[in-house]
Amino acid sequence: MMTPAPTTSPPPLPAAAAPLDKTLRRLFLTLFLRGRSARGLKRATAPKSVGQKLALALFFYALFGCMALAFVHQPVFALAVYLHAMTFLFLGMFVASSAGEVLFNKEEADILLHRPIQPRILLWAKIRVLVEVSLWLAGALNLVGLFVGIAAPQGNGLFPLAHALSTTLEALFCTGCVVLTYQLCLRWFGRSRLEGLMTTVQVLVSVAVVLGSQILPQIVLRSGKYVPFGKASWQIALLPPAWFAGFDDALAGTMAPGSWLLAACAILATGLVLWSAFGKLAGDYETGLQRLGENVSPRVPPRRGRRWMDVFLGLPPLRWWLRDPVSRAAFRLTAAYLLRDRDVKLRIYPGMAPILVLPVVFMIQDQGRGGTGSNGFGVAFASAYLGMVPLFALNLLQYSQQWQASDIFRAAPLWGPAALCHGARRAVLCFLTFPIVVIFALLIWLTHHESTQLLLLLPGLIALPVFALVPNLGGKALPLSLPTEEAKAAGRGLNMIGGMFVAMAVSGVGVWSWSGGWFWWFSAGEAILAVGVYVMLRRSLARARWSALE
Amino acid sequence: MVSLDHLTKNFGAQIAVDALSFDIPAGQIVGFLGPNGAGKSTTLKMLTGMLAPTSGRATVCGFDLQRDPIEVKRRVGFVPESGAVFESLSGLEYLEMVAALYGIEPNAARDRIAQFIAFFDLSFATLTDKLLGAYSKGMRRKVVITAALLHNPPVVFFDEPLDGLDANAAVGFKTLIQTLAREGKTIVYSSHILDVVERVCDRVLIIDKGKLLLDGKPDELVAAHSSGTLEKLFTQLTGGGELERRAEDFAKTFRP
Repeated sequence: MMTPAPTTSPPPLPAAAAPLDKTLRRLFLTLFLRGRSARGLKRATAPKSVGQKLALALFFYALFGCMALAFVHQPVFALAVYLHAMTFLFLGMFVASSAGEVLFNKEEADILLHRPIQPRILLWAKIRVLVEVSLWLAGALNLVGLFVGIAAPQGNGLFPLAHALSTTLEALFCTGCVVLTYQLCLRWFGRSRLEGLMTTVQVLVSVAVVLGSQILPQIVLRSGKYVPFGKASWQIALLPPAWFAGFDDALAGTMAPGSWLLAACAILATGLVLWSAFGKLAGDYETGLQRLGENVSPRVPPRRGRRWMDVFLGLPPLRWWLRDPVSRAAFRLTAAYLLRDRDVKLRIYPGMAPILVLPVVFMIQDQGRGGTGSNGFGVAFASAYLGMVPLFALNLLQYSQQWQASDIFRAAPLWGPAALCHGARRAVLCFLTFPIVVIFALLIWLTHHESTQLLLLLPGLIALPVFALVPNLGGKALPLSLPTEEAKAAGRGLNMIGGMFVAMAVSGVGVWSWSGGWFWWFSAGEAILAVGVYVMLRRSLARARWSALE
Repeated sequence: MVSLDHLTKNFGAQIAVDALSFDIPAGQIVGFLGPNGAGKSTTLKMLTGMLAPTSGRATVCGFDLQRDPIEVKRRVGFVPESGAVFESLSGLEYLEMVAALYGIEPNAARDRIAQFIAFFDLSFATLTDKLLGAYSKGMRRKVVITAALLHNPPVVFFDEPLDGLDANAAVGFKTLIQTLAREGKTIVYSSHILDVVERVCDRVLIIDKGKLLLDGKPDELVAAHSSGTLEKLFTQLTGGGELERRAEDFAKTFRP
């Protein structure tokens, strides 16, 4: 077949219009701020509401950043380690949870892939938006810390500048690491395994970020005032937040040689990650986009016997618990999304990691005081967190990229969302809460070597059914029924803080009653109260009717 | 204008497009037909640079798809079957963004968009005030068609373009593509609405399981196979001969 010579007139000159990278950057920033889907929204109201949510979120970040005031008498390195660990946590979580949606959006392929855009320009535009928003968050989080550093011992007026620079480096490092992880997955694994694998990697990266950022401040604070980087404590150089803290200490702190070495690690690691992610592997990006656009599902080997879910649902406790067919269907749907859906998994599992790390840290601290000398604070803390698991998970399960499919719930002959909410709640209790109860119980037994401390989990267990119903109050938290953009609302965080406060109060009184010798009276009283509240919540949910669609 | 030479796409062991070869000259409207899963959308996605072929080659306006993908993309317009848009942009924001991607200067883009708005009978207020997520399916389809034609491409690929359009808009659209073809544009039209294809297209290509089954003028093909209509010819070729009887049998299962 002959190749004809190019036949058409040249395309319009790009010079007259806005540069491509600027257009794309504006597009992705708008999409990030407004979300990727909207139903029944007017242009005038949508950006405003999202903008307000973002402003509120930044305000809460800044408020959380006030914790840096606790480090006012600590050396610069300790403060910097705390600030960078927290920044690493929040940025890592933000980038890990946003990157999948921003970098590999399936629908975007049909809109942008046939346009004349170089994959590298597309990738850079997305990265710029991710880094830009990361820096807003980091700026809010570090605002107070910038000034605490000036007043810290060995600190000086250069701290704000040094910390701003190191935070920018850290934002680039976090973004680069996540992008690099994606690209390596693209390069090494076939298309059929790509999506599932990337989800797993992203969840693991997020959990690692959470663990790393929680562990580092513990090391620094427990070891006294300052962990120098040297022969005796070389391990600190393995933790990325320490590199960026070394940068601060080198420029605006002790200026010790160890800090310069850590600062060099920060610069080198960031450079290496950026070079690999945006230079060497950028070409793989288009391949990745194309692969996600291939809508061919892998062949499933022929199944022998019944599916495990059918077997599971046929067993006596669940068969009785899920005898209502609508609840049963909602249970199956929720279980499928908890186990299979990339978007839901990326929101729930990394989001739950920080909730679970703190009780573990406190239980280990309890062990440090000796099993018998322990005041049970760690166990009580774990008990308080039990209620947070369904509260948090059901709250996040409302959001889905396929939220418009939930119209089928309204189209079905149901008076309200009660049966669906019950199914979703039971799936969360089965697949998330119960395993965590078992893990906490095992940890308590392993760290305290006695079973009596397990009783301190009782206040949390008694309150658990109530906490699991709270998100459904008034027919709310219908599974998979809201656009993912609404998950960014700061108001949701407030609800969680309120829930945590109540859970802590219950467990705190539990510890007090334990030490006062009236634990069983307290537990009986709590059980009666919990039954009363539970019945009220169930009735409220049963009366709930469908809310109007926007 | 469009030339395929043993273009092939495999997804693992599955062959989606099997060594397709054909040429389409300028000014022709080609109906690209096939049953579900025949490989139509995959072929169109390869020809628009959205999917990389496994083997073979293709050129559009003389530019090789794999060597000069950006030059090819500058010269094609594509209306995907999904009709996907960025729902949180207003119609005008979306079209201006698309215009910028093709290097069209903002004032020129505005004028061009105004022409499309007039053609499709859209109100400017809707285009500026409402986000695309709030548009009806038909309105959204009109925006997607506008976005595909804004840069005046010499080759346009339509994948189920009439989906969601009302009868008036569909009539207008058919006249539009016939006029565009007369002015020298190449139109590849993939659809399951065969009577429209029969009336609008100069030539049809029927594929099944990734292979080209038939290529010719609709009336000549219908006459050569004595099938009466293009729809009957299509069902004969793609194994749908028993469909009517099966549908009747199935409908009987709904009797109370």
